[in-house]
Amino acid sequence: MNRLALKLILVLFVATLLTGLSSRVFAQEPIVLGVPTSLGFLEGKEGLFCVNMAVDEINAAGGVKVGGTMRPFRVVAIDARGAEPGVPVAEVIKAHKKLILEDKANFIAFGSFRSEAAIACMDLVSQYKIPMLLGTAMSPEMQKKITEEYDKYKHTFRVCLNAVYLIKYLGGTMAYLNKQFGFTKVFIMDQDVAWARKTGDLMISMVFEKMGWQVVGRQTYPTGASDFSSGLMKAKAGGAQVILPIFDMPQSGILVKQWNSMKVPALMAGFISPLAGPAAWKTFDEKIDGAINAIFEIGNVPVQKVPRSVEFYQKYQKRYGKPIEAGHSPAPAYEMVYILKEAIERAGSIDGDAVVNELEKTDRQGAMGRIRFGKDHQVIYGEDPNETAMGCMIQWRKGKRIVVYPEAIAEGKIALPEGLKSLK
Amino acid sequence: MLLGTLVYGFVNSCILALVAMGFNLTFGISGVANFSYGAIYIFSGFTAWIFLNSIGFPYIICVIISIGLSATLGILIYHFVIKRVKGLALSEVMATFGLGLAIMELFRYFDFVGFKYTLPNIVEGSVAIGDVYLDYQRIAVVFIATALTAFIYLFTHHTKTGLAFRAIAQDERTALTFGIDSDRIGALSMGFGSALAATAAIVVLPMGTIAVEGGYDVLLNALAVCIVGGLGSTVGILFASVLIGFAQTFTANYLEPHWMMLVSLIAIAVVLCVKPSGIFGHQKELEERI
Repeated sequence: MNRLALKLILVLFVATLLTGLSSRVFAQEPIVLGVPTSLGFLEGKEGLFCVNMAVDEINAAGGVKVGGTMRPFRVVAIDARGAEPGVPVAEVIKAHKKLILEDKANFIAFGSFRSEAAIACMDLVSQYKIPMLLGTAMSPEMQKKITEEYDKYKHTFRVCLNAVYLIKYLGGTMAYLNKQFGFTKVFIMDQDVAWARKTGDLMISMVFEKMGWQVVGRQTYPTGASDFSSGLMKAKAGGAQVILPIFDMPQSGILVKQWNSMKVPALMAGFISPLAGPAAWKTFDEKIDGAINAIFEIGNVPVQKVPRSVEFYQKYQKRYGKPIEAGHSPAPAYEMVYILKEAIERAGSIDGDAVVNELEKTDRQGAMGRIRFGKDHQVIYGEDPNETAMGCMIQWRKGKRIVVYPEAIAEGKIALPEGLKSLK
Repeated sequence: MLLGTLVYGFVNSCILALVAMGFNLTFGISGVANFSYGAIYIFSGFTAWIFLNSIGFPYIICVIISIGLSATLGILIYHFVIKRVKGLALSEVMATFGLGLAIMELFRYFDFVGFKYTLPNIVEGSVAIGDVYLDYQRIAVVFIATALTAFIYLFTHHTKTGLAFRAIAQDERTALTFGIDSDRIGALSMGFGSALAATAAIVVLPMGTIAVEGGYDVLLNALAVCIVGGLGSTVGILFASVLIGFAQTFTANYLEPHWMMLVSLIAIAVVLCVKPSGIFGHQKELEERI
């Protein structure tokens, strides 16, 4: 009995010691990361998962060195529901205010889902001098505001892809299709949200008009729409060779299923959020073969030529027991926590202005390639992962996602699906 | 393009008729306000999905379970919610609408969001009508909508239970004097209407995804069809479905898809101003004349 009692006392002593030690490690006040996204959308949900993953890794390694002390990160997330139809921008601003005023967030990570709200929140974060890193919103309007009024809006940064860079990837793909197959007629189907409308506008002015393509029509759908037959009929009637979809709503995956059953003789090449992840093949009854889809940031899809993207992808799968499904946001969400950590450590403080100065000096090799901010606080994307961050285009082939563009990281060439013929 | 619009307009009309049928049976024919109809529609879609993907039952079993559970849910709603506020029209509407919101938000709370929530087609493949391809699932919608409309008409005009459904809406006290148990019939009507909502969900949802927000659209469309056609009139439902269905498809194809939802709202507004009982409705005609 005495031995047992002695053992128990010993165990209790060790446990107390360990608890004491661990609480000593995090005795310092945590650095609060406010995450106000839209958890009803895959990008928002997986983005938050990735913020948590990076925070746990950093905290497990001792936290963030602020001056002479180690401080942990603490995540306070709000489902601001900004991506859902009918939710007004004011609600999203309220969520940001709550994080800043009630939860005392030191930084806003990931930010608002939609550009409409993210742009409106730029005034709020500048008022309280809270650095905000965006991980989903894509409208270039954000950069315009920073360029025009730097002192006022310098607290906002964007880690994810923006609409202009997306244009470059999509434009490159269109040039490829023209060169390889002789295609020159396109029909645009987009969602009625700021980033998608802007992407459609820019594709016309910056790509199709310059390349001499004929835009045979354009159909814009409200968020939540799930019948795309009208647009598909117009595309067919107009003789489109390529359909350019630009959608981020869950219902948009059904567009490709309808495209398949209506046998529209045009190649689907653009961005449909539900088509990005590996589950799409089974979900859409294997009817997405041949569709080409943008992956906004590598790491959301493993690219063999960029080992860090594979490492990040596998780490996520190991932790959550399922692969990344979103083509936009998870990798930037993960990287932005590390970007912030490094900036805080360089600044030696969590003061908003000091951290902004250090964020501007970011130069990091991550899951998305090399991460650096431009003067307009947008991460620079390009076609060489050693020089810039990267997005890519994948093509669905027999259940597999093959990286087909840009050439620097391509794993195969674009192939036309059954029923489509090259004009060359 | 015109042929495509006509073909898809006809299919859209059948979808509207299918979706409105259960709502019309409960609210239109029996006078039991069930504004949780959209939620029941979504509930049946998610139930079928859960039994198919999480438990792994054969699809036909999932369909039967889904319809059965939806009917049970409808009966329970009648006994535990509607019965308590029966006779107070506004309270019935508010209570069932509130309950519907709770059911839909509960699915959102438990993370039923995303593109993976889809149901398989009943039949695969497509057929060409001229140069327009139409998938078999849409053809199935046409057949099922036609068969169910005929069934509902015969049921409510030629069976004892069906006639009792209509009787409690026309005059509950007189129905009681004829030995009709209005609570039993009301519960049956809710169960039957919910089963029809589930049937519509099983047939229509494979052409899209199961989304919580979809419940609101279903309720609005069902309401529009019933108000325009006339509450309680099966022929009116058919007429209104064709009218709104074609108007929506022509709007999407020749104007913009954005205006599609306005079609239903405009139709409701016009009918309420011109003929409040609906084009084929008779229930309130006397009141209107007075």
